[in-house]
Amino acid sequence: MITTGIDVGAKTVKVVLMEDGKIRGKAKVLSGFDQEESAKAALDQALVEAGLSREAIGIIITTGNGRKAISFAKGDVTEPRAAALGAVFLYPAARTVIDVGAEESRAIKCDANGRVLDFAVNEKCAAGSGAFTEAMARALEVPLEELGPLSLKATQSIPMNAQCAVFAESEVISLIHSKTEKADIARAVHDGLSSRVVAMVRRVGLNTELVLIGGVAHNPGFVESFKRTVGLDDVRTAAEPDFVGAIGAALAAAE
Amino acid sequence: MATPTKYPTAPLKCWPKAKEIREQYYKDYAQAHERGGIRWSGGAWAFDAVPMGLGDDVHVMTGEPYAASIAWDRKFAQECQDATDARGWSRDLCSYMRIYWGSMYLNRFHFGGEFPKPNFYYQSQICCSHSKWDQEASLYENVPYFCIDVCVGPYETLDEGRVNYVVNQLHDSVEGMEKVTGRKYDDEKLIAAVHNECRSTSLWAEICTLNKAIPAPLDEKTMFSLYVLATLQRSSKKVADFYEELRDEVKDRVARGIAAVPYERCRIITDTQPPWGFLKIYRYMEQFGVVSIGSVYTFGLEGIFAEQEDGSWGPRKTPQQLGIKINTRDEALRITADWNLSRPCWQHFYDPRIKTRMMLKMVNEWKLDGVILHLNRGCEGLTVGSMENRLGLIEAGVPVMTYEGNMADEKEFDERRTVSRIDSFMETLGLKQIPEAVALHAA
Amino acid sequence: MIEKFKQWYDSRHSYAKEWKERTGGKVIGTFCTYVPEEILLAANMLPARILGSHEPQDVTEPHIFGMFCPFCRDSLAQGLKGRFNYLDGVVLAHSCIHFRQTFNSWRIHLPVEFSYYIPMPNTVQTEHARPYHREEVEKFQKAIEEYIGRPLTDGDIDRGIASADRNRRLLRKAYEYRKLDNPPLTGEEAMYMAVTSQFIDKEEHSDAVEATLNSFADRKLPRETGIRLMAVGSENDDAEFFKMVESVGSTVVIDEQCAGSRYFWNESTANGDRMARIANRYLDRPPCPVKDYPAHSRFQHVLNLAKDYRAQGAIIMQEKFCDPHEGDNPRLKKFLEENGIPTLSLEFDSTNPLGPFRIRVEAFLETIRGEELF
Repeated sequence: MITTGIDVGAKTVKVVLMEDGKIRGKAKVLSGFDQEESAKAALDQALVEAGLSREAIGIIITTGNGRKAISFAKGDVTEPRAAALGAVFLYPAARTVIDVGAEESRAIKCDANGRVLDFAVNEKCAAGSGAFTEAMARALEVPLEELGPLSLKATQSIPMNAQCAVFAESEVISLIHSKTEKADIARAVHDGLSSRVVAMVRRVGLNTELVLIGGVAHNPGFVESFKRTVGLDDVRTAAEPDFVGAIGAALAAAE
Repeated sequence: MATPTKYPTAPLKCWPKAKEIREQYYKDYAQAHERGGIRWSGGAWAFDAVPMGLGDDVHVMTGEPYAASIAWDRKFAQECQDATDARGWSRDLCSYMRIYWGSMYLNRFHFGGEFPKPNFYYQSQICCSHSKWDQEASLYENVPYFCIDVCVGPYETLDEGRVNYVVNQLHDSVEGMEKVTGRKYDDEKLIAAVHNECRSTSLWAEICTLNKAIPAPLDEKTMFSLYVLATLQRSSKKVADFYEELRDEVKDRVARGIAAVPYERCRIITDTQPPWGFLKIYRYMEQFGVVSIGSVYTFGLEGIFAEQEDGSWGPRKTPQQLGIKINTRDEALRITADWNLSRPCWQHFYDPRIKTRMMLKMVNEWKLDGVILHLNRGCEGLTVGSMENRLGLIEAGVPVMTYEGNMADEKEFDERRTVSRIDSFMETLGLKQIPEAVALHAA
Repeated sequence: MIEKFKQWYDSRHSYAKEWKERTGGKVIGTFCTYVPEEILLAANMLPARILGSHEPQDVTEPHIFGMFCPFCRDSLAQGLKGRFNYLDGVVLAHSCIHFRQTFNSWRIHLPVEFSYYIPMPNTVQTEHARPYHREEVEKFQKAIEEYIGRPLTDGDIDRGIASADRNRRLLRKAYEYRKLDNPPLTGEEAMYMAVTSQFIDKEEHSDAVEATLNSFADRKLPRETGIRLMAVGSENDDAEFFKMVESVGSTVVIDEQCAGSRYFWNESTANGDRMARIANRYLDRPPCPVKDYPAHSRFQHVLNLAKDYRAQGAIIMQEKFCDPHEGDNPRLKKFLEENGIPTLSLEFDSTNPLGPFRIRVEAFLETIRGEELF
């Protein structure tokens, strides 16, 4: 039986087709204004990759912030559930799943079956999500995908004093004007983000059997900063972190 | 999947009366001066029995319920907060306070006409924000302010010196009010008011205790419209009599197995004031068969509880029930001081563990399956220690969910995200939406 | 000599550990300046006010949620990170809601031998507060006696009172020098001097203040005084901020804030017995807004300070989420301005963006200078 998971995120829609516990095809497109259209487009792309037709697929389950916007889906599961199922599928030992997305980040405590035991979501005044690095990348006039690698070239840690994202932007500009190296500023930005993410994770309990997923887990600067903040030499990052939610939704469809 | 049990439901017979009492209350306040009466404003935790000694025509408007009423009217609520923001007040201040001040600054009374100026403000100081609230209001309106400091530690450590501190201030306030109003204080009226106060709050606790029944005869959303009368004026005979009627009706509902939520299969409590403009989230949860049977807030904001003979939690016995006669002003003030100091919602101000113990008692005795904590950015007084409550509940194995919001400032409440969290919590509890309940809701 | 205070500030933990070893005494963490330190001093303890470290932190989310002030969370973070693991006990005198959480989370999760909560009155400006607080101070004394296993004698209490008062007197004297046209100490230096008295051995601290006072006659700062400013605040020990303000053409000549003058401003006076003397001292001190009832005397006190120290402007340092001060500041701002003291309001966090702050301070100073010109 082929099941489909569609993760309708704030920025991108991800689709995964699974059959008997194996991934047959996947695709990612920008969410844009019409989430349903984008979901259809992503599904079509995934079908092409899998060499399947629409009729061949079975149940479609959605997740993500636009999960209720897809009329052709059978049902939906929440992001924590999808993240936990997907993470444990990929890494059976995972018990804490940290999902850092464009708009929201969350920490999920789960059991060996991917069942959610507790979860926390970034709150106001602890806003730690991809949107923060995007805004800072703009302020630094660096393309977003280069911000992480740039931060790895930093030679010192400087504290980001502004704890509000709005103030942080003017602080970055002040730092630029005071001739601080962009690489060091980039590191400070990632440290600010990872500090907020870790603060949230502590609410569900930080343990070493953790895995980072979500779009921001692609960012090597964030991953490096996260390791330093939690004091771990190594942190498991999903190979394709932005597809974990869709995998979880596809697994939920099979249940 | 087996169809879940559907319990019989029935509307509350005394519901219209509650509405009527509330409407009349605000009318009386607005018209008090025209009738030669006195009106005072203050907090729902003020010792409202004490000003009653000034006469039969003393009317009060407590600030929190007034602001909560406005919060339901999201447009006016925003206008009030904007007016307060424009005067330089911080947005993170108590949202009730911001709304009340806004209504005052705009000189618009939510129930029509101009904002009625009180003769004086009367307040209890237990919450830093409350005391500032009426300090500013009294400065703005240029009227006296009586602030009774009740920060004497938790009830379990109350001793004579601590009670005396509160009682002495109450005595002073009587003399102060006499001076301000030019009236002679009547101790008999005080005594009657204290008896009514004890009756109201003990009856409310009894009603909450009846919610131990399965199915619960009342759900928290309904209880909000009922407990509010005690926050308006618990020392009035009208309110006490109403609660007696309500108690009898709820007893009857229990005897007949009448449920508040027809598909009840999961019982929870919440915490602090709800986001008033979004009470629909309670109806949403009912689609999963979830009933909130109350909270420390709904129970203990005004309800006065005590440990019963069998160790369970239930209503505190009133002086009348114990055969205690109140003969003098001092005795009356002592009783109202002690009575109010035992209030459940005052204990967490000193130690969150006291509230955690209360919540665990509720989990056990009201047979709960989980707890939803509203991390209410609009009220620091009731959220103090919330995260420690959460840790205490988790340690005891109780499923807990939190969501951030604001009881009265909708800018700080994200409906979509909150519903998403509720969905996740339902998943954790193993609950899916009940199609029949969803259909009922849609109808 | 004055550098000593900064050294103490920067190495407060190693100081306290070394003090413990040296004296064999107990170190008691306090969370609020309303704790009657005289009792702790009488018992040969070191009262050590817990403060934050002005670094972003990620450990307090499970204990105090984000709506409460950064200072109370920063302070709890120090405990959770083990930096105060030498503390033998913690004491809180009832004041703001925010710090009650720090105190409770501390005593629930961190190992301390002794913890005590003093239900100090808030309506301090009434007669009834006096006998009540006197009784509570006495109860606190008994709790300390039980903890140390011996009674405190009259001599012990007198010593405690004398030590606290000596320190207060000396700090007042130091502050007097700031009234001069060219004060021999900057606001940053005064901040270090005042805040360290809250966690350094009182006698050692007093000796250092005395030595510093002796050096003032010859001390001329290699800087212009510039515009004379007042700092009005919640708690504030953000030295970097003061440094920045004083680097752009001003000097902070007086403060009215929790970690500054409010802590030491008044000595005790002999009235009633020893317990009453101690209790009344705290009831009569310049009030924190939590305790400014019913007379609401704080505003006049702030204005008096501004006039006495000839402040040309006031920076109102509003700690984010600090409700008691937020409940005062708009009216206080208006009151100061109506009485000829222009104000600048800034919102503070445990770390602050000094770049944007600098621009605002410079603009504020320009306005003051401009007014002076015309």
